Amino acid sequence: MHPDEGIYVASDISSPVIHISALHKTYATGIRRSKIHALKGVDMQVPAGEVLGILGPNGAGKTTLLKVLLGIVLPTSGEARLFGQPAGDPTARRRLGYLPENHRFPTYLTARQTLDIYGRLADLPDAARKERIPRLLEEVGLASWEDTRVGKFSKGMMQRLGLAQALLNQPEIVVLDEPTDGVDPVGRRDIRDRLRALKQTGTTIVINSHLLSEIELVCDRVLIMHKGRIIRSGTVDELAQQGTGWRIEVDRLPVSFDSTMWPVSLEESRRAILVEDGLPATLNRLIDQLRADGVQILGIERHRASLEAGFIDLITAQEDMP
Amino acid sequence: MTTLSGSLLLTFRELWAMRLTQAMLVIASLAWLLLSFALNMDVVEGSMAAVRIFGFDTTPTDGVFNEESGEWVSQALSLDKFLIGINTFVFGAAYFLGTLLGLFATMPLINGFLEHGRIDLLLSKPLSRARLLVGHLTGVWLTVLVLSAYLVGGVWLSLSLKTGIWMPQFLMAIPFITVMFGVMYSVILTISIISRSSGLGLVVTYGLIFLSIILASHDQIVPVLSEGNAAIFMTFYHVLPNFIEVVGVQAQLVEGQVVTTWYPFISSLLFGSVTYGIGFFWFSRRDF
Repeated sequence: MHPDEGIYVASDISSPVIHISALHKTYATGIRRSKIHALKGVDMQVPAGEVLGILGPNGAGKTTLLKVLLGIVLPTSGEARLFGQPAGDPTARRRLGYLPENHRFPTYLTARQTLDIYGRLADLPDAARKERIPRLLEEVGLASWEDTRVGKFSKGMMQRLGLAQALLNQPEIVVLDEPTDGVDPVGRRDIRDRLRALKQTGTTIVINSHLLSEIELVCDRVLIMHKGRIIRSGTVDELAQQGTGWRIEVDRLPVSFDSTMWPVSLEESRRAILVEDGLPATLNRLIDQLRADGVQILGIERHRASLEAGFIDLITAQEDMP
Repeated sequence: MTTLSGSLLLTFRELWAMRLTQAMLVIASLAWLLLSFALNMDVVEGSMAAVRIFGFDTTPTDGVFNEESGEWVSQALSLDKFLIGINTFVFGAAYFLGTLLGLFATMPLINGFLEHGRIDLLLSKPLSRARLLVGHLTGVWLTVLVLSAYLVGGVWLSLSLKTGIWMPQFLMAIPFITVMFGVMYSVILTISIISRSSGLGLVVTYGLIFLSIILASHDQIVPVLSEGNAAIFMTFYHVLPNFIEVVGVQAQLVEGQVVTTWYPFISSLLFGSVTYGIGFFWFSRRDF
């Protein structure tokens, strides 16, 4: 954390493809032009080839951050650069693919026509479009739907088409806003596989998702945003590690056992105790106490909190802060 | 160039997908097919002796009795006047109905263009905002140009072939319709960009067209106003588009007269240019 502003400063990276520095965004809304501070001094760097997940509750500023990066929203102050060029510069977007949240394609176009038009907009020559469109439709599982109007597509099919659109120009950076929204489990797995394959090619991927399990499975690094600030950054393991502890399974717990005296929580059945601080000393003291009370210990295992649990703890702690 | 073609193609496809555009094309086709096949004219020494539609006579050819000369005088219509009449009617219909319907038809087009999820995707492509808007506008203008050329050009060609009289000044209706549509489109587009409500844009645009009916009567209205109110009235007259008065310019051109003043057309063009300037500025500066 930055000592003064509470801003997370990422570690130095030699050649970031995304560089964001002291970024602020304030929206003025309504007749009275009341101000909403969507971003409050965000600093972030993403090296080439990294898969970065952005997490945060609704209104955290995730989508605004991505939109500033793409030049869709203009920053109030600060700097956002793609490949060393200002984020609003169209030439920087030539090497970028984007799948917006709740994207809308014209409903009267077929899947193939949609990709053709968006391919043109991405400045792809005829030959490249002819070669890539059928291949991408095949890869996202829409080959047999290529001449079907987009208006007849389900939400999941729209997401697949959106992904194909984002990959048309073989981008070096792919920005995905809720890529698996509305997609069934098989489709989600397909998208994950596609993202892993992209990662193998050295593509930088930035994902904004509410599905923490998706982030956990795909991302190298995760940023957690809250109220316009990046409050934590690290690998999935690092963030989940903060919730690591022990789980002790017992035959029964005496009524006299007072869980408030220990850094523990009890499962509803009162047949297992979760030791939250993860310190061996705490574990050993607790075992001694339980044995002294005549409790039979049936098993002890390392308890690793999920990213989701870590995320919820972090956000709850932030909400509780004055 | 490829990006511009994408933007153009998207606008064309969007317009074509609208039933109203297709309906306009059908109506234009019917208009000149009617003139080509259903309208028969008997021309005697440069005058219309008779006009028949679907084989039925529509004008008397017997003439009227002139009491002074004591002779029957042919009431045959001057061919030139007949052609001017038909073309003025076609121009009027295309200008008023075409513009009003056309503006109404573009409301969903603008909605679609500025819609969340659509505009984000367009802005993420490697083309500047100005270029994106130019592509959209070019698509709209070209569509209006093609539709008006199809209607006016078709009618002109059909009548010219039938009568053997070629009056190229009729074709001036094509740029007039296109340009004045463009002027009024600047209002709906700019207000939609600023307010994100194409409905509001349409109401204001229709309001300006209605206001131009009142402003066109400035010669009669201004003398009865107080000095202050007259100044306000004339400020509106000079600043706002003179949609109605432009019809007079076109009429003078068609009738082969010298145009007494181009002012309504030029001031409307200036209004359109300034409004587009404001629209481009807002489009380049606003968040989506």
